[in-house]
Amino acid sequence: MAGVKVRINDATIHVDPGTSVIDAVFAAGHDVPYFCSQEYMSPVGACRMCLAKIGAPRKDRATGDWILDEESGEPKVFWFPNPMATCTTQVMEGMVVDTLSKEVKRAQSGMVEFTLINHPLDCPTCDKGGACELQDRAYEYGSGLSRFEFDKRHQEKHHALSELITLDRERCIHCKRCVRYFEEVPGDKVLDFIERGGHTYIGTLEDGLPSPFTGNITDICPVGALLDSTSRFRGRNWEYDHTETTSLDDPGGAALTVDARTGRIERVKAGLNPEVNKTWIDDGTRFGHEYVDAADRITMPLVRRDGELVPVSWEEAAQVVAAGLSKVDPKAIGVAIRADATLEEGVAATALARQLGTGRLDHAPRPPASVIPDGAAATMSDVATSDALFVVGDPTEEAGIVDLRIKDALKGVAPPELMAHGVPIADLRLKERMPRKAEILTVAAPYRTSLMKHAGQAHVTPAGGEAALLKALAALAAEQAEAPTEEPEGDASGASAAAWDDTVGMTREQAQALLDRLRAGSAPVMIWSGFVSADPDADEAARTLAKAVGAKVLILGPMANAYGLERIGVLPSHDRYDYASMLSGEAKALILSQLDPAQDPKVAKRLGELDLLVVHTSFPNATAALAHVVLPARTGFEKEGVTVNAEGRMLPVRPAPVEAGAAADLTGTVKRLGEALGVRMDGRSVRSARRVLRKMLNVDPAELPAAGQLLELPRRASRRARALRAVAGAEGRALVVPSMVRIEHLDRNPKLRAEHGDAALRLNPADAHAHGLTAGEIVILTVGGLPRRLRVVTSDGVPDGLWLVPALPDQPVGLYPADPSALRRARGETAEVA
Amino acid sequence: MADAVAERPKPITSRHDPRFEVTLYRYVGVEGAHTLDAYLEHGGYEAARKALASEPGQIVNTVKASGLRGRGGAGFPAGVKWSFMPPVDGRQRFIVCNADESEPGSCKDRYLMEDDPHQLIEGMLIAGWAIQATKGVLYIRGEYWHAYERLTGAIEEARARGYLGANVLDSGFAFDIVVHRGAGAYICGEETALMNSFEGLRANPRLKPPFPAQAGVYGLPSTINNVTTLASVPHIVEKGADWFSAMGTDDSKGIHHVQISGAVARPGVYEVPMGISYREIIHDLGGGPSSPAKAFIPGGTSCPLFPYDDEHLDMPMDFSAVAKAGSMLGTGAVIVIPEDQCIVDAMYNVTRFYAHESCGKCTPCREGVSTWMPQMYRKLLSGRGTPEDVDVMEDVAKNLRGTAFCPLADAAAWPIQASLQYFRNEYEHLAQHGTPLHPRKDRWLA
Repeated sequence: MAGVKVRINDATIHVDPGTSVIDAVFAAGHDVPYFCSQEYMSPVGACRMCLAKIGAPRKDRATGDWILDEESGEPKVFWFPNPMATCTTQVMEGMVVDTLSKEVKRAQSGMVEFTLINHPLDCPTCDKGGACELQDRAYEYGSGLSRFEFDKRHQEKHHALSELITLDRERCIHCKRCVRYFEEVPGDKVLDFIERGGHTYIGTLEDGLPSPFTGNITDICPVGALLDSTSRFRGRNWEYDHTETTSLDDPGGAALTVDARTGRIERVKAGLNPEVNKTWIDDGTRFGHEYVDAADRITMPLVRRDGELVPVSWEEAAQVVAAGLSKVDPKAIGVAIRADATLEEGVAATALARQLGTGRLDHAPRPPASVIPDGAAATMSDVATSDALFVVGDPTEEAGIVDLRIKDALKGVAPPELMAHGVPIADLRLKERMPRKAEILTVAAPYRTSLMKHAGQAHVTPAGGEAALLKALAALAAEQAEAPTEEPEGDASGASAAAWDDTVGMTREQAQALLDRLRAGSAPVMIWSGFVSADPDADEAARTLAKAVGAKVLILGPMANAYGLERIGVLPSHDRYDYASMLSGEAKALILSQLDPAQDPKVAKRLGELDLLVVHTSFPNATAALAHVVLPARTGFEKEGVTVNAEGRMLPVRPAPVEAGAAADLTGTVKRLGEALGVRMDGRSVRSARRVLRKMLNVDPAELPAAGQLLELPRRASRRARALRAVAGAEGRALVVPSMVRIEHLDRNPKLRAEHGDAALRLNPADAHAHGLTAGEIVILTVGGLPRRLRVVTSDGVPDGLWLVPALPDQPVGLYPADPSALRRARGETAEVA
Repeated sequence: MADAVAERPKPITSRHDPRFEVTLYRYVGVEGAHTLDAYLEHGGYEAARKALASEPGQIVNTVKASGLRGRGGAGFPAGVKWSFMPPVDGRQRFIVCNADESEPGSCKDRYLMEDDPHQLIEGMLIAGWAIQATKGVLYIRGEYWHAYERLTGAIEEARARGYLGANVLDSGFAFDIVVHRGAGAYICGEETALMNSFEGLRANPRLKPPFPAQAGVYGLPSTINNVTTLASVPHIVEKGADWFSAMGTDDSKGIHHVQISGAVARPGVYEVPMGISYREIIHDLGGGPSSPAKAFIPGGTSCPLFPYDDEHLDMPMDFSAVAKAGSMLGTGAVIVIPEDQCIVDAMYNVTRFYAHESCGKCTPCREGVSTWMPQMYRKLLSGRGTPEDVDVMEDVAKNLRGTAFCPLADAAAWPIQASLQYFRNEYEHLAQHGTPLHPRKDRWLA
């Protein structure tokens, strides 16, 4: 066997050189306690729990041969004089590790005693009880008694680090995981130790935790010191049902563990998927669950009778729908689902449209350009191991996991190989405060994004100028591909030197440097998202550029399953029949799942004139208020199915045991409609939908590997639909931007709202002043027809004249017309703006 | 071979040896010695001139041959440490001077920096040339204000006259020194914590490896030496490795500076050859105990104490001899403890220091050294202790030994263990009677 031979107690194993001793111990099936080491983070050796006796043979300096034991003739083992921390010790050939002797047990139990000196042992009232590393390790390795008879350290027990995270400073055992996490994973240094010695505590310099990835510290805290404020005091760990599922919040496809109790989601934790999110999720995903059991949840089908929506049974509602549909010309029926529906729901929607005989089928939001790469597609691991990255857009907000994987690439350490016990506990290649290779990352976006501070090259490009930038870059790349040695001074590619700077937001030299880097890279990756997909020309130029420089491509779609729904063809039979056409008055009957187009007063007027409006939704909204039939829908936490993330990886979505009344997902809805219509449709159940998927994709969604299954790229690029809307023109330019926090649920998420505030209108301080706006005030601004209630936030990161508004599912990212002169300050006023 | 041994002169191991002359401390205490003019008058910067004219590797070899070992406490051979530096690769390299002299009892670096700062600057310059570092970092203890002023003044003087700067002594070698003041933390004397502190980070020791030579200040190749180590270098270069190695024992060569304090007639800093006996230090240099002594600490409070007996007094001051006897040479700070001093009280004083200085990074030190031990001492000294408490203290000290991240916890545990080894009766007396065997008395009034 290859590798380094190590003997752990009685087991001899071979491990890769550079492995830490603690991983060798675990790989050999033995155990040592540890608190400070953490998967995917640097080992520090602070808790001193993982002590073991270590010995190794030595070579004679003079001869270079092993020094042999005189009795046995084997290489003699020289024991280190002190017990060693196995997490920070590297394996050596012939190393011998003893984790079982009395001496080692004594050292470990001594350490448990030290660790517990200042720990309050308030386990009966601690949320971590039953899932606490300290509790487990104290039982396994402690003596059960404490000889410390003095007062324990008294510190703050409910220190709100932010609205979302509560720190109990008495419980803290100073493992430093949280401090290291912020520096090493998202790269936001917001926590540190304060004071020293026995007075050391965790704290922030300024109030709050200004990072979008704060919740992960509650997962990695080995004790109950850092708790998620949304779930604090809600239940004990053994009472929770743990559901391993996939986030439907964004196209990253992060693994989640959803903890539910008595029919309610109490907590969301990060799951482990080494290929996708490792063990991290963003705060939008973690804390965004509270909307699920909001008081206004629709739990029964509702039918409009005498102008009022009244609760009825599913059978009755289905009958009403079937009867309504039969009166409408099939060609005038439209079916639209939201882009975070599962693939099974996509199959159900497709089957329903086919059964009804309509080509008006779509998922929304759907950008005009495809979200599926047509050349080499990049996986998350490709991103993490890339040595030349070009990002157009704001991945932090669109899919937080991608942001973290980009930061992995900056460290230049490839994801660790899995060992017999899983992810290595102490990866010695990782260090505290590693130098980051910022120079490998270039970010371009129409405003200052949070990723830009980690980028070697960052460009705030003119809003809506993605096409100009990417075309200019693609032209420059093509020009040089033809004549690589030539260095033309005057620009032949159409963009003059001045135009390079003004219209594309980067100089020719910068563009040249970017192209050189992408070409020189051994694994270049391009990542783009909504702003590019919103403009087919920009998308085409981006694809051309990627091919020219040989970069793999990752495209972030607008919602969780945009890739999958496009892949299985939940698309109109013709461009004329898309979602926009359904709302423009061409359709007479509409079946909408989880969409709320009636927020736009003009659309609401037309929806009010429909012969039949069926709304499948979890919550009452403007569209449901107009509906003839409202069907209760399951949320992303309650569905069974599969989703496809931005890499094209099929991932399982599993239902948490949540009390949702009679709510059904789209497969259940189609089943009931089929019963009412007297037909058996594909997609009438998850099982029947999977039969279709298996045939279509050659993958069995019921038998996915642990890390999910990467789909093969489609043989032919999918059809491009026409642009859903006209771009710009109006006075005042509003840029609808992606948001990690789901704005449509913000009102139903008390804790998240307390931290995040209302949906923000972000603009330059000078602009705010010019319009007489002050930071913090609430305004109503109509953006592209949708009146939006927004809180004014001023930021230097926003270019002059641009208004940033967070996206709703019914309003994908991009530029929209907005008229600042029609801005209202009043509360609750929904003025219509032309 | 036998002839060669016979011919070699007997090494200098006593200050009474007529061949011995004070070198490093020669101008300490001399009015005006800190100026550049005074330094040049007695041949200052000649060694630097000589060094800059020779190959860097040659300097490293000379220092190796001299047998100079680190004077900061650990005694690592300086030349060997220098040779750990990676080959020159265009990255910035640093020579760091550890002037964070905080070990209780130590004060040798202070007077050297205050009265003869150019010696240190020249030493750093030569060391910088030897390891090809163009930047010197001088991390000085925050409380050493006078030394800081003298040093910064001396550096300015040296810079103005071309002994530091872009072209040192017209050799084409660029070298300059940054002086950084600490903010009062003992842990900053630990080399990696010092580097963290210099970088503006929390003063916690770093994981080793990587050692400073691979990743030191700002992750760049660095070598760190004590003040006295660096100040010895000009003399070694000037007078040759043989001059230095003629003093001391086989294991420990050259000169050291003992800092005698406690119950002695003439406390102070004395330059001595290595291998000198503790009897000579305490009796001949320190003037003997000012009141009957029962113990002495051989090298600063973190070193286990020795009973004041012939066996230990006749021990040569030599790294291996002291280690063999169960203690450490440390910084050479000899503290004499009088008979009527309650050892528990004395050790509480030491423990309080380490409790206050623990950085809080690792569990045994934060909880054992910083939290538990001082409370045990307080309990015992307040008369509430029990005989079991003494056992617990012994056990806790044992658990602290060799388990912590850096040597600070060892430094706290060793003196406790040694005091229990030799003076357990005093602990037991306190535990049984509630009063110390030697009640505290006010030495100022006595």
